Amino acid sequence: MTCSPRVKAARRALLAGLFFYSAGTLPVLAGDASAGADVFKQECAECHTTKEGKNKKGPSLFGIVGRNAGSLDGYSYSDALKNAKWTWTEDKLHWYLSQPAKQANPGTKMKYSGLDDAKQLDDLIAYLQSNH
Amino acid sequence: MPSFLTRCRAALGSSALLAALMLAGNDAHAVPAYARQTGSACADCHAGAYGPALTPYGMRFKLNGYTDTDGQGTKIPVAAQLTGSHNVPARGDNTTQLTEADVYLAGRISDHLGGFVKVETDNNGNDHFSTKLSNLDLRFVAKDLKVAGKDTIIGVSVNNSPGFDDPIAALPNASSLGPPAVSGTLLNLSSANTLYNRVIGGGVYALYNNDWYGEIGTYNTMPTSMQDHLGYNIANDPGRISDTGYFRFAYMKDMKRQFFSAGVVALTTKRQLPRNAPSDDITDLGYDLTYQFLGNREHIVQASYVNILEQRDYGSTPVVNGVVAKPRGDAHDQTLSVTYTFKQSYALQVAHLVSTGTQDAARYPPFGKPDSTANLITLYWTPFGKDDSFTSIANLKIAATWFRFTRFNGASSNIFGAPVGSPMTNAKDLDAFTLSASVAF
Repeated sequence: MTCSPRVKAARRALLAGLFFYSAGTLPVLAGDASAGADVFKQECAECHTTKEGKNKKGPSLFGIVGRNAGSLDGYSYSDALKNAKWTWTEDKLHWYLSQPAKQANPGTKMKYSGLDDAKQLDDLIAYLQSNH
Repeated sequence: MPSFLTRCRAALGSSALLAALMLAGNDAHAVPAYARQTGSACADCHAGAYGPALTPYGMRFKLNGYTDTDGQGTKIPVAAQLTGSHNVPARGDNTTQLTEADVYLAGRISDHLGGFVKVETDNNGNDHFSTKLSNLDLRFVAKDLKVAGKDTIIGVSVNNSPGFDDPIAALPNASSLGPPAVSGTLLNLSSANTLYNRVIGGGVYALYNNDWYGEIGTYNTMPTSMQDHLGYNIANDPGRISDTGYFRFAYMKDMKRQFFSAGVVALTTKRQLPRNAPSDDITDLGYDLTYQFLGNREHIVQASYVNILEQRDYGSTPVVNGVVAKPRGDAHDQTLSVTYTFKQSYALQVAHLVSTGTQDAARYPPFGKPDSTANLITLYWTPFGKDDSFTSIANLKIAATWFRFTRFNGASSNIFGAPVGSPMTNAKDLDAFTLSASVAF
């Protein structure tokens, strides 16, 4: 069966529309959690663990995604973080970790200069997300 | 012809050098009390989860005056280490014994005060033990300062060895690794009549913008009576020093996956040895380079090179066996060390140690040459001290160490100048192989 040129053009337009519509609703490409484990070791592991209940200089990051800032029982937070009224969503972590900690949260005890490699940051957050 | 006394002194000197090298093999600055205080694992501060070589994180902990904490209340600042070893010298009897027992008082007193004190009990053979105050480093530190808008730390260290307090920890008194020296520089713990642990002093230090380190200090030798009370043999008194200045400047760059540093060091003093002798004017000038590849901590490489030149203007020119000693001379110590660590648990360290100096027939019998060359090769296993190990705050170290000499008294054979027909000692006769087990808790 053959289609008229007008029908073909309409079909192409429909397919193109579907493609862009789909692309627009796809989730943001996730990082690689296994690669993020390596990023965690190089960037975070001296001050944090991902073990539940194991604090170092910084609090345990087990279950960090979705946790309210400054809310882990048994850890002595700075006033700055206790008073920060945010939840550690992936977006918030992305914002916080991409800049010096003292710039993101003036008064924090955390000494971190920020991670400016976007791929490593995505991988790291994927790794943190995987620790529940 | 060198006297019998001179040869004996040289032989005793070599024994002391061997002891110093063994110190390098067994010494530990990985203090579990710090791990309990911070919640950190041993491996966070030491690549092989056992000291003394520091990671950049360990350097920051030291710069912060040992005061960092996990904020979980006060911890008892006490730790201990026991070391047993089986020693197989190239010449002499094998020994198996409890070599050393140490107690550390180490930790924070407040946010601004902290310290490291090691009290060491050594087995001098046949289970005769002696106890001494080993390393001392007490600090006051002001953190989180801003100078010209940059992060700055300013601190004061009171310690008993110039260079021990250095954050990069490549200088001999901090790394416990220096060339076995007949002559040797004042900054080398393996030199004869070393200053190591027998002086008291310190200085003011600062770290600017996380990268630039500077320190200015001064030292005085402890009175011989105090050395005696603290457990030291006054026969090895470093003498009286005065007008002493210690200067250190270094650039250090932590790039998380890698680290490098380049530094210079200087020590200037007037020394009377023995204490009633005319004083020698002595100036040490040195530089050091270090590099660390840390990556994801699976494979770690740490390399360091230290080069120290000492210039001496002697206060006297004794005549020995009809030969007049030279009025001036140099000593030159070099240490190259490379360590590879796998999974923060298995490590191989290779070190090349060279000490040379101005030829002087009167000062350095039997050949007038103070030159020595040695190697230290050690393989060790540290199963614990990681976040995912059985315990992260204590460790065991099983080590096999080979001390190898290729030159001593400027010679590789007949190093003590024995007359024809007498038993000779060659440099390789000073070699030793040691198996050791240390536990720190």
